[in-house]
Amino acid sequence: MKPFAFTLILILAYLAVIIPFADYQRTRPVVEKMGYVPTPQVLKFVSADHKGVTAAALILKSMMYFGAIVEPQFNTLKVPPDYQSMYGTLAAAVKLDPYNMDAYYFAQSFLVWDVHEVKAANAMLEYGMKYRKWDFMLPLFAGFNSAYFLKDYSKAAQYYKRAGELSGAELFVNLAGRYLWQSGRTEQAIAYLTMMEKGAGNEAVRRSFRIRLQAFREVRRLEEARDRFRAAEGRAPKSLEELIRWGALTPIPRDPYGGRFYLEPDGQVATTSKFTHALGAARKP
Amino acid sequence: MTSILLITLKGIFRDRVFQGIMVMALLFLFIPTIGSLSMRQVTELSITLSLSLISFILLLLAVFLGGTSLWKDIEKRYTFSVLGLPLSRTSYILGRFMGNALFLCLTALFLGVITLLVILWAKGLYPPSRPVRWDNMMIAVLFDTLKYLLLVSVAFFFSSVSTSFFLPIFGTISVYLVGNASQEVYDYLHSGSQAVKVLPGMVVKAASLLYYLIPNLAAFDYKLQAVYGLDIAGRGMALTVLYWVIYTTIMLALTAVIYERREMK
Repeated sequence: MKPFAFTLILILAYLAVIIPFADYQRTRPVVEKMGYVPTPQVLKFVSADHKGVTAAALILKSMMYFGAIVEPQFNTLKVPPDYQSMYGTLAAAVKLDPYNMDAYYFAQSFLVWDVHEVKAANAMLEYGMKYRKWDFMLPLFAGFNSAYFLKDYSKAAQYYKRAGELSGAELFVNLAGRYLWQSGRTEQAIAYLTMMEKGAGNEAVRRSFRIRLQAFREVRRLEEARDRFRAAEGRAPKSLEELIRWGALTPIPRDPYGGRFYLEPDGQVATTSKFTHALGAARKP
Repeated sequence: MTSILLITLKGIFRDRVFQGIMVMALLFLFIPTIGSLSMRQVTELSITLSLSLISFILLLLAVFLGGTSLWKDIEKRYTFSVLGLPLSRTSYILGRFMGNALFLCLTALFLGVITLLVILWAKGLYPPSRPVRWDNMMIAVLFDTLKYLLLVSVAFFFSSVSTSFFLPIFGTISVYLVGNASQEVYDYLHSGSQAVKVLPGMVVKAASLLYYLIPNLAAFDYKLQAVYGLDIAGRGMALTVLYWVIYTTIMLALTAVIYERREMK
């Protein structure tokens, strides 16, 4: 065969394969698994003196996995993210590079609300505080977790005090004292989420904070309406519907997670989504 | 010895190794972009990537230049003509080592300057939460260079006892991996944890012996200190430099002794 013909056949064969191949690669399903992450000991050995890069790669991997699931349809998650694997990956990352703030920040962003692993989150933050001794964010997160989720106000005050000492900001010192006792949980959550949303560099993570913040603003609106009703009528409203009929709520509050707000028997505002995508999507009518 | 040094250096440049490094250095241009994927530490991630890239390039040089330098001479029958000259084998070994070492230092300097520029750029994109410690970065690059010079001496040692390039190359890579982990293993074995207590005493003793024999490369790793601006203990640095001088000298002395006695046909 002449060399020219042979080259031509090879080029045509390559074109015949590369077009369907590239097509498939473009439309292939999102990798919905985090995949297997070796134990930190193995990772430490094989990454030799590149532990920092390995840690960053693991964190990016979990962030991209989260971004791929959350971004296209951020209101209803068809696939609940594999939070346990994400946590495992981040935990491995901080074993390799205990100073990496991205890992603590990202773990905190999903561990407490979505997975309800507040103790695991605080253990990870405590671990980080041993290394990032200058960073006020870690005790601040831990303080919020303790106060909001664990309702352990004395522990929360210790964390906030530390955050205040490290940052020199009055706000945290106030949080450690008066604010924590006086303000409601919703106010705490809004203050915390506003700060987190501002600091998030990654679009998917920022969006997830923004949605949560939106949900809590709706909760606050409901709480304010409930308190106005109580003041005017001298009794607590029996249900959300009663509040709406009373005319204190326009527009009608909407849970961005797709759940439905309701009033607990003790008057607390709650939602069927429990502020998570997975539950909101599952219970959506 | 000086002439061997210069011949070695010229040979490396003639093999277009430096052009290869320049091509790899193009990767530095992507570092700020990759760094911006980080949520809260763009500059820190850029420093991590830059220092790791330097370390990786120097590793390739140490393994492939160091591991093939002596072998190639034998393969090209160059050794015989050189050793026919009035020149001791020790001077030949030292000349070859110095040539490789000088090239490694020049590369480290070149890449170090690029890194400083890249970090300046990344720092402008997203101001870091903590000031960048330039002194720590220079220390990190310097100690990485020392580490890979030591590795070149290990590669030379392997070359002196082998006739092919397999042992020098794969032996050096193994020493690199084990040398980076040995401190960790030693600390674990002496941590008094329950899992260690069930190990036979022999294993612990053998591992401790290996710890003292194999070069402790983890000691040369100052990347975390450079990335997060942590303080570096002067005593630790001084001891590491002393350790480096002694270890490299021992390796080169062993290489020279073996080479002097080796039968060349």
